[in-house]
Amino acid sequence: MLEVQNLSIEYTTEDGVLKAVDDVSFNLQRGESLGIVGESGCGKTTVAKALLRLLPENGAISGGRVLFHGENLVGKSPDHMRRIRHSKIALVSQSAMNSLNPVYTVGHQIREGILAHSNIGRHAAHARCVEVFGMVGLEEKRLSSYPHQLSGGMKQRAIIAMALSLEPDIIVADEPTTALDVVVQGRILQRIRAIQRQISTSMIFITHDISVVSEICERIIVMYGGKIMEQADSASFFRAPYHPYSLGLQNAFPSITDITGEELVSIPGTPPNLMQEQPGCRFQERCPFATSQCRSRTPPLVKVKSNHHAACWYTDQVNDFRTRARNRDTWEAVRTRIEQQETPQQ
Amino acid sequence: MSNGPLIKVEKLTKYYPVRRRLRRLFDREQHYVRAVDDISLEVERGEILGLAGESGSGKTTTGEIIVRLQEATSGVILLDGHPLEADTRADRKRFRREVQMIFQDPYETLNPRFNVFETIAEPLRIHGVRLKSEIARRVSESLEIAELKPAANYLHRFPHELSGGQRQRVAIARGIVLEPKVLIADEPVSMLDVSIRADILNLLKRLRRRMGLTMIYVSHDLATIKYLCDRIAVMYLGKIVEIGPADEVIAYPQHPYTRVLVSSVPVADPDYVRAEVSVDDAPPDQINLPEGCRFTPRCPFAQSDCAGCDHRLLERRPKQFSACIYTEAELKPRSIP
Repeated sequence: MLEVQNLSIEYTTEDGVLKAVDDVSFNLQRGESLGIVGESGCGKTTVAKALLRLLPENGAISGGRVLFHGENLVGKSPDHMRRIRHSKIALVSQSAMNSLNPVYTVGHQIREGILAHSNIGRHAAHARCVEVFGMVGLEEKRLSSYPHQLSGGMKQRAIIAMALSLEPDIIVADEPTTALDVVVQGRILQRIRAIQRQISTSMIFITHDISVVSEICERIIVMYGGKIMEQADSASFFRAPYHPYSLGLQNAFPSITDITGEELVSIPGTPPNLMQEQPGCRFQERCPFATSQCRSRTPPLVKVKSNHHAACWYTDQVNDFRTRARNRDTWEAVRTRIEQQETPQQ
Repeated sequence: MSNGPLIKVEKLTKYYPVRRRLRRLFDREQHYVRAVDDISLEVERGEILGLAGESGSGKTTTGEIIVRLQEATSGVILLDGHPLEADTRADRKRFRREVQMIFQDPYETLNPRFNVFETIAEPLRIHGVRLKSEIARRVSESLEIAELKPAANYLHRFPHELSGGQRQRVAIARGIVLEPKVLIADEPVSMLDVSIRADILNLLKRLRRRMGLTMIYVSHDLATIKYLCDRIAVMYLGKIVEIGPADEVIAYPQHPYTRVLVSSVPVADPDYVRAEVSVDDAPPDQINLPEGCRFTPRCPFAQSDCAGCDHRLLERRPKQFSACIYTEAELKPRSIP
């Protein structure tokens, strides 16, 4: 249904050109839910915005194609995109709950969207509003509430209802629950999962929280420095990741189910500066297993088993890597290496 | 130095008056948000206590009252056996030296016009350290304890030249430079990327070992609380609903609210089987509180007796106290008519 091919995106800034997304390819089947995870600055939100062609003015798609039902969205006119947005591909963004207009009721705002994008009448539109509110677990009477009368969780659900109202093929959700409390987040994730199964919409779920992906996505893409590091079925990924970055993340993440009491180990160093053209693997600077090959040549995304790909030159050594990655000293060595490289500033 | 708990909080309350709305103009009664409502707790020397809860639970307010960023409405806080009724400037100053705080957002808590040296030296100067060589020595020392090594590399940098993790380390270095007894940390890692969160959590653990610091860690994130804290106090609408050893409370929650909280945490394990507890996610009304247990309107196990709950913490498992009037075995899901 959606095919992203070799997508590259650049931002022009005062200090030069920033390559935010570099040669990213993936596809999305009908009814599938895909999670894109990564830390701040890895390009995950930029990918989402590019799919809908909502990049800020200084951002541009510098290469690649976005095929939606076989039709390339890159280069389509703003008018054409406006018709696709919301009705075919809907976005639920992080700050969406603050994007509701305070002077109209939420019901009015959802109805306007439906009327603008389809040719059904007011009554049918209202019925549709009631239906989608039911799906997200809001009472019908809430349609006549103004945004300030709703809590953060309810507003976020109203936004999800709005996204659902035109039965889009794809919902792109960018950190839709980050601003919410745990209990509310838990409930909304449950809802999203249920709705997605019920109406078989496809979903792209963008988050920094890898455990959220584990909860609701069938497939996962791990991004780092604008590139895909690993792409896999969620179950396969969470049982046994391949990329050293993913192995590092696994050690860094506290879990409420942990009973080993082992010390968490973080990944030393900081993400790469995307302003500088960098040969080789984006992660090599922080990777405990990096070799000269990693520094000079960019590893391609290779298949490691069915539905599981990783961008690393040494996927055949993953067993050894996994053992070593669990050891704190492995990562401490990286810290020492980085500290030595940094020239003292005075 | 006495042998009792380092921090003792007794019957602490904090009420905020609610602004009257127009239609309440003739309503004589002043309404209050009871942000913290009669809580008592103790923190042992060298212990890390986690304060957990959702927004509006009163966890941040509790932390801020203990550092005296806010005044309590009533109640007593004893530090090392001494009440914190510091009325003189000198008392207050002494107290500030002993209790320090680090905040959530390392991007906002550092003065952008101060370099790292000035940031950390400021509290020393305020507390009367005049000797330049001593200031320099102590600033470098605390930077190195906060793992910004070698300190000389960082002294002259400004906040904008530092990463988020480094900024939080500078904030920590500033917090420990006066060698406090207590450190209160309010969501210190929630703004940081996961790959560096562990560093800060490990640093806090080491601080406890190295300086014997006692800590209160305020967070909504049960996973980091479990990792860092010895004990956890779960708050709901101004009340402590459960308190006990962190691992035990998370593995065997006794209060229905704690159960809900634990079951809401996403887990990165495809084989994890969750004890689903369904709950109404509508936020509670903070002004019109129900009689008795405040979780009653959302509680899947609520019964009529819950209105008679007096919030007393009952020891349900060793050292684990719950304010629920029922034992774990007595809790049955409410039948839906």
